[in-house]
Amino acid sequence: MKSLDPRVERLPDIGEPGIIKPKAPLDQFGTYEVFVMPKEGKPFQHEGIVHAPNLELAFILAKEAFTRRFTCVSLYVTDTRNVYVSPLTEGSANVYDLIPQVTESNKGKEQFEIYHLTKRGKQHVHVKAVEAGSPQEAMYVAKQQLNSGKPIFNIWAIRTSDIRFTSAEENDLWVTLPDKKFRDAAEYKGGDKLKEFLEARVK
Amino acid sequence: MKDIALKEFLYKMADDQLILGHRNSEWTGMGPLLEEDIAFSSMAQDKIGHSLALYSILHQLGEGEPDSVAFTRNANQFHNCVLVELPNGEYDFSLIRHFLFDTAEYLRFEMLSQSSYEPLAQVARKIKGELRYHTLHANTWLKQLGSATEESISRLQNSLDQLLPYALGIFEESPYEKELVALGIFEGEKELKERWIAKVEAIIQLTSLHLPDLKLIQPQVGGRAGKHSAHLQPLLDEMSEVFRIDPGAEW
Repeated sequence: MKSLDPRVERLPDIGEPGIIKPKAPLDQFGTYEVFVMPKEGKPFQHEGIVHAPNLELAFILAKEAFTRRFTCVSLYVTDTRNVYVSPLTEGSANVYDLIPQVTESNKGKEQFEIYHLTKRGKQHVHVKAVEAGSPQEAMYVAKQQLNSGKPIFNIWAIRTSDIRFTSAEENDLWVTLPDKKFRDAAEYKGGDKLKEFLEARVK
Repeated sequence: MKDIALKEFLYKMADDQLILGHRNSEWTGMGPLLEEDIAFSSMAQDKIGHSLALYSILHQLGEGEPDSVAFTRNANQFHNCVLVELPNGEYDFSLIRHFLFDTAEYLRFEMLSQSSYEPLAQVARKIKGELRYHTLHANTWLKQLGSATEESISRLQNSLDQLLPYALGIFEESPYEKELVALGIFEGEKELKERWIAKVEAIIQLTSLHLPDLKLIQPQVGGRAGKHSAHLQPLLDEMSEVFRIDPGAEW
């Protein structure tokens, strides 16, 4: 496929009949998970992912991809590979019932951030930080501290040291011109204008 | 005298933002990766927003409506520096221009947040976060690509060498420089240029790029006095094409 559009050139090979070969890796950067704090006092919530060459650039790119129109008060990112995921449940099944007991390790403890999925189809929300020797232990500690019996469908655990936080001096990143209505397509009342125009023409 | 000096000052800053905002918006849909395309387009839109804030101050001082000021003047009536009107080349060119210009812009508005002219000081304080992001974005890419591969380093270096004379043109002094300083409106282009050099040096030092001796470079000036390259008029024609079809239309 030859095209002047570089995006077309990057499309995956569609293959040739009769020839079987291994799937080529995607020509893309790895993914990073993006969390935002929508308002002061609210917990951080998972917002989506960005592709980026490294953690620092993931932070930079996430800022515009996720907080361009809806500003927040803080944002952080982590490499997708640093997110430890529990099994997924549904209905009235509480995922904490599936978290096995882990014998407390003697190794040095680290801090893990714990996230809950309380509604299927919604995003994971930060609940608490716990101290543990491994991600598995972090989930078990979370079970002891956070399990109220109410169904939780999925748990994430991330080492705090693997997160790129917004630094104190970067807090003013969201100090911007307040009036950004020009960014919203809905602000251009195209239908109203067309109606006005047509009515004026009839007269 | 104060009004003339102030207007000249506001026009050159507003025109810089409008023209660079338009140039950078030409990358929309063409960016090197989706996330970067979004970020760069969004910053271009920020710049248009900054120009609107400055044209609005000018309007309060008796100048025309922001739209007609932006869309109905000819090239020789614009006061932007030549740097911002140069046509896009490869992405390295736009990234270096973004770095050189926004470093100056951040420092300029940091100075202006203390301006004795309150409407300007207010705008400067309001857009601080946006400019902080713009410089963080530029610096992060520069650190990444400025020490990555032989190709990325040499491409950035070529663009840097090519753009430095134009970047020095940002600081072309106005005939009212003394008045602005005396009135406490702005500390002056000379002071800004010194702070800019220190900042640019500090970032370049973190990369494998080389900053040539700036004293040996002849600045490309003239833009502030309306003397532009051949690239500005075609940009204005395209930017105002729709507006000129029906200047009275309400959007």
